[in-house]
Amino acid sequence: MRALWIMTFSDLRLNLRNRSVLLFALVIPASLMTVLSITYNTGEATGLTGSQSLSPVSVAAAVPEGDRLGTTLLTALTHLNDLDIDVELTSADRARALAGSGEADLALFVPEGFTDAVRAGRGPTVSTVRADGTGAEVELLLSVIGGTLEQFHDGALAARAATAGGVPAAELDQVALQAALREPSVAFLEGRTSSEQLSATGALVAGQAGLFLFFTVGFGVLALVSERETGTWTRLCSLPLRPWTIVASKALVSYVLGVASTGVLLTVGILLLDVDFGAPLPIALLVLCAVAAGTSLMFVVARLARTAEQANLFQTALAMILGLAGGAFFPLSVSGPLDAILDLNPVAAFSRGLGITSGGGGPTDLGAPVAILLGSAAVTAALSLLLPDRGRAT
Amino acid sequence: MSDGQRSGEDDPARASEGAVLLVEGLVRRFGDLTAVDGVGLRIEAGQTYGLLGPNGAGKTTTISMIAGLLPADAGTISVLGRPMGPREVEVKHHIGLVPQDLAIYPELTARENLAFFGRLQGMRGRQLIERIDEVLDLIALSDRADDATKDYSGGMKRRLNIAVGLIHRPALLILDEPTVGVDPQSRNAILRSVEALSGEGMAVLYTTHYMEEAARLCDRIGIIDSGRIRAEGTRSELITLIGGVDTIRLTGAGPVEESAEALRLLEAVDKVGVEGRCLTLTVHDAPTTVAQVVTTAARTGLALDEVEIVRPDLESVFLHLTGKALRD
Ligand SMILES: Nc1ncnc2c1ncn2[C@@H]1O[C@H](COP(=O)(O)OP(=O)(O)OP(=O)(O)O)[C@@H](O)[C@H]1O
Ligand SMILES: [Mg+2]
Repeated sequence: MRALWIMTFSDLRLNLRNRSVLLFALVIPASLMTVLSITYNTGEATGLTGSQSLSPVSVAAAVPEGDRLGTTLLTALTHLNDLDIDVELTSADRARALAGSGEADLALFVPEGFTDAVRAGRGPTVSTVRADGTGAEVELLLSVIGGTLEQFHDGALAARAATAGGVPAAELDQVALQAALREPSVAFLEGRTSSEQLSATGALVAGQAGLFLFFTVGFGVLALVSERETGTWTRLCSLPLRPWTIVASKALVSYVLGVASTGVLLTVGILLLDVDFGAPLPIALLVLCAVAAGTSLMFVVARLARTAEQANLFQTALAMILGLAGGAFFPLSVSGPLDAILDLNPVAAFSRGLGITSGGGGPTDLGAPVAILLGSAAVTAALSLLLPDRGRAT
Repeated sequence: MSDGQRSGEDDPARASEGAVLLVEGLVRRFGDLTAVDGVGLRIEAGQTYGLLGPNGAGKTTTISMIAGLLPADAGTISVLGRPMGPREVEVKHHIGLVPQDLAIYPELTARENLAFFGRLQGMRGRQLIERIDEVLDLIALSDRADDATKDYSGGMKRRLNIAVGLIHRPALLILDEPTVGVDPQSRNAILRSVEALSGEGMAVLYTTHYMEEAARLCDRIGIIDSGRIRAEGTRSELITLIGGVDTIRLTGAGPVEESAEALRLLEAVDKVGVEGRCLTLTVHDAPTTVAQVVTTAARTGLALDEVEIVRPDLESVFLHLTGKALRD
């Protein structure tokens, strides 16, 4: 036990002496947060603090004459509870012009033969053009459209299966309409409202803190790789220590650095950028879980990397991918199965958790993000045990 | 390879009696390659054992198994009578390893490196501080002790590498080619400290491919090649083994033939040849014979100008045993 503290303390001291830790864990992310939040906020404030503040959206829609599902889609949109949508049916060119001039927030194009394509089970392709400077309402609308199209597709498949080939048009419309009216809005609200509680700046701060967490935790665990290069790994193995002690100390270093830097970054967000993340206790819970996920993932990197340089490359790639997908630079909205996959991203789960806390959620409301973070920690830890150690000399 | 000290080998308890390190039948394979093939050795307190062999002979692999870094495929290792292996923790307290490649933290100073590894060996407080000073003194690094080691010269780093291995006063110090690539001054400092340590009673296992080092430091030498110990013994024993003899050459003025007669009568002298003013004596062990030879020559009235000792070296032993040179 004493050896564990000696190693952890020594590594922490080395890390604090080493300026790149301060740079990566604090200076760069804090600067990025500030710069990005200034960029985002120079336009109109796009913060969403609840469904009440959603402003009306105007849609210019081009739908082929008599296309049943195209019409159904529009009907579904106008029936949304949370959004006030004004739909104007027009030609494709005019719709484009309206969106271009900003008179309409969104232009929607339903292609020729849309209904037949859906019936045939081909993926429906509906394109949209978004006017410049539109806010989160359009974001919301886009994901509703995405969800509705998804439902059309599923409905068509279900109906095709049920009738073994011949799909009566009326039945399909029925299925589609029902699905469109009920499901997307419900699914949408369930899956999203929580994260939408974060202001644009809040989402940025959360995303950046999440992204750089994956750099910071590298300073502990990835020392396992660099110590093979300095030769000290050999020496440590010759010391009267239980083998797990060395690994545990690196994990502890990662953990301490991760918690400290994430704590500081969120505090910077709260104090300097005016973000409200909610109560400290649930935030702390989230941070502890997120750092566990990050630390655990670094063990996988340590296993796969042959050299310290490789480890840094892997780590950077991972952090950037997770950060981007987790909305560290801009909000990312996709729907359907991809969305479910993106939700498993620890950075996204962390942001989502902070959305819940900022909306007043307590520890008990954090079930999903905490489960994702701890689950990912467990899975990556197990993976690191199973993977062969590619950098080992003998 | 007869060795009187190993007569108790049949009984393991007795065999390890008095031995700091006892290794028997050590084998390690890497795929098809048998890197270490039945190595056995025994080192007692205060003894320095040299493992002399060329690149790839299996020195580091042997040492890695003894230090518990690498599991052995067969064989036994015991340190102070206790079994040693990668999973043994307590026994490792008695071993100090100086790896072939540097194993120090470049960002830490010498003192910090020593303190870190000393603490991990269970040392603390005054005892640790005093020992650090003592060790720094031994390797002549006291004046640079508080500089980050990344700014050290190669030789200084190597010296610190050694110091870290002996910070906890191990019973067994293992040095893996500690002088490779160092300047003559550092090399000398290293050799002197190894001599001092064995003088303090440490058992030392020293690998090298420099025969001069083995000859200077080691009480016993094992010649290793392709994973096998080809011969083992003191330097003289090894030379005798290959039928090597020493030569003493005397040059002087006076009754040369008379001196030759008197010298032939000495028990330690095998043969005496005469060539002008020069006498060439064949003896078994020149260093122990030379005094007697010189006195005898002087007694017969020979005025000596020059005395020269020529000895076959370990290089020739190695060549004889393996058919190859120690260094490429
Ligand atoms: N991890 C390993 N995997 C495969 N082969 C190895 C490994 N380690 C050593 N060997 C092989 O085992 C043999 C003995 O190597 P070892 O390092 O013990 O030699 P050495 O006597 O220390 O040589 P040197 O004087 O160059 O340090 C060599 O042929 C080497 O290539
Ligand atoms: Mg070697």
